[in-house]
Formats: sequence, C-alpha cells, structure tokens
Amino acid sequence: MRALRTILLVAFVAAVMTTLAACGSSSSSSSSGTSSSGGSSLPAGVKNPVDESLTGGKKGGVLNEVQAEDFEHLDPGQAYFQLDYQITNSTQRSLYSYEPNTFSQTTPDLAEGEPKISDGNKLITINIKKGVHFSPPVNREVTADDVVYAFDRVANPNVANPYYLGYLESIEGMKDAKGGPIPGVKATGKDTIQIKLTEPQAAIVVASMVLPWTAPVPKDYAAKYDAKKPSEYGNYQVASGPYMMKNNSEGKVLGIGYQPGKSLTLVRNPNWNASTDFRPAYLDQINIAIGGDANVIGRQVLEGSDMVQSDAPAAPIVKLAVQQHPSQLTISAGGGAGDRYVAVNNSDGPFKNVNLRKALWAATDREALNRLRGGKTVADVMTHFLWNGIAGFEESGGFPGPKVDYNESPTGDMKVAEKYMKLAGYPSGKYTGSETVQVVGDSSAPANNVAEAVNSTLQKLGFKTKLNLVEHTVMYSKYCGVVSEKIDVCPNVGWVPDFGDPQAVLDVPFNGNLIVKNGTNSNWGLVNHPKINAAMEAAAKVVGEKARGEAWAKIDEELVAEAVAIPYQWAKEAYIESKNVNGINDYWNSGTFNYAFTSLK
Amino acid sequence: MTRYIIRRLLWGVLLLVVVLALLFVMFYILPTADPAKLRAGRLQNPKIIAEIRHTYGLDKSLPAQFWLYLKNLFLHFNLGYSYYSNAPVKELIFNRLPATLSLVLGGAVIWVIAGLSVGIISARRAGSRLDRASMGTALVFVSAPEYWLGLLALFFFASDIGKIHLLPGAGSYVGLTAEPAKWFTSLIMPWLVVAAGTAAIYARLIRGSLIETMGEDYIRTARAKGLTERRVVLRHGLRSAINPIVTVLGVDIAVLLGSSVLVETVFDIPGIGRLNYIAITHSDYPIIQGTVLFASLFVIVANIVVDIAYAFLDPRVRYS
Repeated sequence: MRALRTILLVAFVAAVMTTLAACGSSSSSSSSGTSSSGGSSLPAGVKNPVDESLTGGKKGGVLNEVQAEDFEHLDPGQAYFQLDYQITNSTQRSLYSYEPNTFSQTTPDLAEGEPKISDGNKLITINIKKGVHFSPPVNREVTADDVVYAFDRVANPNVANPYYLGYLESIEGMKDAKGGPIPGVKATGKDTIQIKLTEPQAAIVVASMVLPWTAPVPKDYAAKYDAKKPSEYGNYQVASGPYMMKNNSEGKVLGIGYQPGKSLTLVRNPNWNASTDFRPAYLDQINIAIGGDANVIGRQVLEGSDMVQSDAPAAPIVKLAVQQHPSQLTISAGGGAGDRYVAVNNSDGPFKNVNLRKALWAATDREALNRLRGGKTVADVMTHFLWNGIAGFEESGGFPGPKVDYNESPTGDMKVAEKYMKLAGYPSGKYTGSETVQVVGDSSAPANNVAEAVNSTLQKLGFKTKLNLVEHTVMYSKYCGVVSEKIDVCPNVGWVPDFGDPQAVLDVPFNGNLIVKNGTNSNWGLVNHPKINAAMEAAAKVVGEKARGEAWAKIDEELVAEAVAIPYQWAKEAYIESKNVNGINDYWNSGTFNYAFTSLK
Repeated sequence: MTRYIIRRLLWGVLLLVVVLALLFVMFYILPTADPAKLRAGRLQNPKIIAEIRHTYGLDKSLPAQFWLYLKNLFLHFNLGYSYYSNAPVKELIFNRLPATLSLVLGGAVIWVIAGLSVGIISARRAGSRLDRASMGTALVFVSAPEYWLGLLALFFFASDIGKIHLLPGAGSYVGLTAEPAKWFTSLIMPWLVVAAGTAAIYARLIRGSLIETMGEDYIRTARAKGLTERRVVLRHGLRSAINPIVTVLGVDIAVLLGSSVLVETVFDIPGIGRLNYIAITHSDYPIIQGTVLFASLFVIVANIVVDIAYAFLDPRVRYS
C-alpha cells in the first residue's frame, strides 16, 4: 500500500489549510452550486476524472509540469508512490493497466488479453502482445522472458521492492526468491508466461499486475545494473511505453533526463508502436520542474499556459481555482484518493471493549474533523471502510453507510455515545476506569488539529489522556506501527489502495493475520477478530469482480459492526492545469495527471 | 603568524571530525526513524526489512558503519548514495553548489554595499529624519521573514504572476554558463530578498560602530590635521568601525550556503538548501548527512578565514 504522502504535502501548506475549512464547507452551498458524482459533491464547473473524454486530443506540443515534491523511485520494480506511477504509467507497459477514468475495469496493456486462470485458481497463463519494443539503447522486441525477469528481479534484495510479498507470496518459490529464477514463473513460449501458485489466490496476483513491477525488463541489459547494491537499473532504465526519460547513448538517465530534486524530461520513445497501445500519447515532450513554493507554482499554473501541477495545490490555490478557474480544477473523489480514520487499539487497553469503540465513534464529530482538513471540497464524511469506485462499496451501504446508531450522526451524538458507555459497564455514561489513554498523532498541521479534536472527544467521554504529537514518519515507525508500543489511539492514519480491489483496501489494515510483529505494522488498531480474519482469508480466494465485491462488502459490514476504527474521511484530491491544457487525470492513481492522455488545446 | 594559522587549521580539522562523529550519532545511533522501515513502506514484513538493511549496509555493527563512512569519505570522497534515486550524494551536492553560490555571493555583495552605505549615512546624520527612516526601514527588513518577503516580491514584480511584470519569477533560474544574462536577471529578486534582512542588520551594526569610532581621539586628530570629512570617515573611521562586520560576514555567508532553503524554495532555485529540504521530507539520510557536512565545512572554513583576516586587521590577535 502506498503511504499517504499527500499528508506530507498537505502538512507543507498547513498554515493556510484551516482557512479552507470555512470555504470548503461553504463552497457547496455557494451560488455557484455543486455537481454530484455518485454521492460525492463537487463545486460547479470542476472536472471529475470519471467523466473525462479520453479521445479527440490535439497531437503535439510540450507540456510543462511543476511539482513541489520529488519522485521517490523510478525503477518500475521499486516505484510505490503516486508521482512515481505517473512516470512509470507513461514510460512502461505493465501487463494490465487502468484507463484514466476507472478504478475497477482493467485493460490489457502488454498482455494480449485477459489472463487464463485454471487449476482451481492456481495457474495463470498470460500471452503478451507482439510488436512492442524497448526504447534505445536496447531497441529489440519485448518477449515473455523480459516479463519473467521482471518477476525475478522484484524479489531481488538489490531492487528492494517494498510490497511484493504482500501480493505474490503464493507464487511457487517466491517466498525464498532472491532475484534468481523463480520456479513458479516460466516463459512457455516467446509470448507466453505461466505462473504457478501454491494457494488458490490467482485473483489478488492478477489484480496486482496493474502495478509497474510487471513491466518488462531486458535481462541482457539490466542484469549488470541489478547486480549493484542497490540496483542502478532505475538510473539506466529503458522504456516500453510511449515515452521515455531522456537518456544518453548508454541509456543513462540520471543527470540527463532526471536530475533528482530538480527536473525530469520525458520524450517520445522512438520505438513505440501506437497500434499495440490504448494510449493516444498526444504530447511530444513533458518537462517536469521539481520544487518551489506551492502557492507560487499554483498561481503560475492557473495564470500561465501549457502547465499542470502534479502534486496537491496549496489550499488557497484550490480556493482560488474553485472561485475563479473551476474549469482548470479537477477533483478526484473516491477511487485511489485514499481515506483517513482514527485507529483504536482493538487488542489492548480500554478499547478492547467494543462498546467503548462504538461510544467513541458515536461521539466523534466527523464533519468537524473534515473541516480541519479542508472541508467538503476535499473530503467526504466516511461512514464505512470500502470506498466509492471499489467493488462492494454500494453493497456495504454506499455514501450513507450501514444503518447503525453510532454511524447516524456525522456531527457526533453524545446521547448514543452515552448509551454505549453504559453498555460498556460505565453507568454514569463516562469512563471511570483507571487507565490513561495514550494518543499519538502527527505534529504537523492540520493533522495535529485533528489529533487534538479526537483527544478532546476522548476527554468528553471521561477518559484521561496523554497526547503525544510527533513527526509524521516517526508516528508510524516508532509508535502507531509498532505492536509492542500498544498505543491506544492513533488519530492520523490513512490508507491508499494499490489497485481497485476491495482486498487491497481492507486486508492489510484490518486483517489480524497480517499483523507484523517485528516490523512496522500497518494494522494500526491491531484489529484481530478471528471471524473477520477467516472471512478475509476466504474472500481472498473469490474470483470475479462482482463476487469479490459482495464478499468484501460483508467483511466491511463486520468491520463496522465491530467498530474496529473510527472512519472520518474519504479523501478527494485536487489538481490544477492551465487554461490551454486538456488535462486527463488518473482516477485510479489519486487523480494525478496521465501524460499519455493529456493534450494541449 | 604561521604558527597561528597552523593552529587554527588543526583546530578546524579536529572540529570537522567532531562534527562527523556527531552526524553519525544523529543519523545512525539516534535516528528518529529506522531508514530500512521507512524504505519498506507500509506493506512490509521482516524479510523485506532485513533485505533492505543488508543492501544498504545497515546491518553492520555501528563501529563498522562509522569506519566505512570515514573510509569512504576520506579515501574516496564518497558521501554515499541517495536512498531513493541512488544518485551519488557528492554529485548531487556539486550539481547544486553553483546555484547556491550564485545566490549567496550575489546577495552578500548587495547586503555589504547596502548595509555599509545606509549605516554610514545614518551614522553621519544620526538623529536626523533620514537616519530615523533608514533605521525604521532596517527594523522592518530585520523583522520580515525571508519567505514572506520572497512571496511578496513575486506577487508584485514577477513577470508571470506579478502585478507589475518586471523581473523573471520563480523557476526562471538558469546556470551562469548556460545563459549569463538570464542567470543575472533571474537572480535579481532572490538577491534582494536574501540581502534585505542581513543588509538591515549590517546597517545598524555599522551605524553604531561608526558613531562610537567617530568620537575617538584619533578621529579628532585626523580632523585637526585638515583632512576632508570624507577621508576622515572612509579612511580612518570606517576602517576601524568595520571590524565587527568582517567578523560576521564570513560566518553569515557560510551559514547561508548551507541554509538558504527558504529563498531557494520560494524562487525555485535548485540549490543545496532545497536539496536538503527535500531529503528531510523523505528521510533520505545520506543526503541530509552530506549537506549538513558541507554546511559545517563552510562554517569551519569561514571561521578560519575570518580569524586569519582578523589577525591581519588587529595585530593584538596574532600574539594571543
């Protein structure tokens, strides 16, 4: 799962974020009115990625993109961040991809068609397209061996892929793989790959094939770079997609097409064959400038030409765009935009008691928490754990969510909270136990304001609390993610799915079987309910979008019934473009721009 | 004098080693977060963390890591590699150095000239309206945060987003060798912003120092000899009054070379400060370590240069 890096971005503009709280909540009721997208309201005139027209763009031109933040890892085997995906999505062809306006329907990309799943969900066979070529200096045609090598290298410690075991552990030999051939992955012909699994988990393995690690990598060229510690392939990478990072004759990208923290240049891949691809690739070149102040670059984009901003604009810029340039603003709601919730410790301390968790849920003013983060413009009140755009969302309650009393009032209901406090064994309706609740939050605004609001709610319920605000990464790696710390409440956690599958949303944060005891754990509430764990293990094996949606919707209902956490925000992400840019945004990738579909007017 | 210089240089080397040890303690023994865990993201397990730790040499003993660090630094001048881009830190820093040097040295020229001029005029007309206006303005610039001044300058004068389209704005920086004219115009606003606060401090410093100096007996003697007032002020008064400025100038430049992050960010100048800021947001320790080391080196060298220069200016120092 990708970290909520947007939290850091928002933190960077934190000083001004609270100003949006008022405007965010008022924008929907302004004279400009709102439009609705599946229950999530957007200010009038603002674009929504799911409604974008993907055809008819003008060919040619140079797009200038600005972003305050740098990329993390551009090697397709390492990339794990929405800005990185923006590059790999234009330069690499993974086996499957999403078109920009969907987060549920995959499109065969390097693969020729849908995967053939057989042997009781334990054998996957995929044919790849003919006529796809690597960019210079490799130039040759892509074969199945190149995809097999991509599987091999994902387990290479030098590549240091951070997530492969989460999805690919069931591949035969993957658990012990070190970068060499994996027994379960073989090219059975020039264009055919077969993947053998030890468990019937084909669905999740196939779902993860939209990630860039499945992009072909030429072993004959890359092996020498992968032998380095760490691998240097990312700095010499070749492309299979419509664009490539500018490089020299040896294929070196670092210092030529990519200057860390400074710039990145994408040019056309001369070997790209349009007839094999669903991407139109209108633009001739994309110049990316990294750095700068979010307020300044936001204005440059809105008032300039040929520009887009790829990371989150500053709050005043979003406000300015809503009021004066709505057609230059895109807001991506649901899908890959992520969520935020208050993690409460289900395994230790007072919140082991389900009724105390329900009381906290009922007492929490979720609308107020969202206002602290920007209000309705950038957030919907979260009522359960699956998201809009993910299979199972409607089945588990849609936007209103499951009809349970502690979920009824988004502004909080102290009477309902009192009811559950009494059921928890506190007849006065207030906590009278001796335990002090340890709350650990993010010290940067606006997250710290959210933490303080949650802390205040806990105190209203009678809890004695100890609030500790620390730096964002420290919050995860030293407190909320460390099992032995036994933190009671973490008010600033969030989740972004890797792909549009309900398992990618619910499994890691709420499956007790996946609690990592000797690492940084991502099940921050130590949610470990045997019945839910078993249901998740069973649902992981279900095949077919509808059936998976139904199976995971039931799990979502169970999670709400157990009040495993206090959900408060389905995030929305805002993006801005110049007036003469027809920006196309990837709904699946938090709404970031897709260079292979974006064009100039 | 030679012994004095050698002594200062040896102290400088010792100080650098102490800084290195402190940096190592900060980033390897007391890190705020485990780099291997940070690198592993959220979908991690012990196997992945162990592999990452091994790949980056984080599983070696602390003395072994420190020894390796020193060996790489002193024998190969290798500052390590970015955890993210795998780019050599040395290359990244040298790539950014020209931009930071351009910003800081240009700014220093402006703040010295402006600070001295305003300070001298104020001192000569102490108590006048001009003096009060100058010192009042200086107080405003001292109090104004650079970041805010930068934003204000852009919103008023930038050619793209400004009210008056006067000067190139954020992101317009190019290297001196690439386009000298564009390099110059793109740095005018950043130079003024970076110089404003320091020029104001220097003006106040030189004013106070010069007023005091102009009351000395030797100044009266100079006047009695019939020298022009201009010569008395510039040749005799200023020469003595400038000592405190010489002391702080070197250190100010050195500190700014390592910490010009705010102005670099506002004006989107790809310098060392911004490199450091981005590395901090990513917990990219090798880069943070490299930039902090360079910043420390600047300060140490500047202190040595200032001490030596001071010894030349004040004969009492060389014998102490």
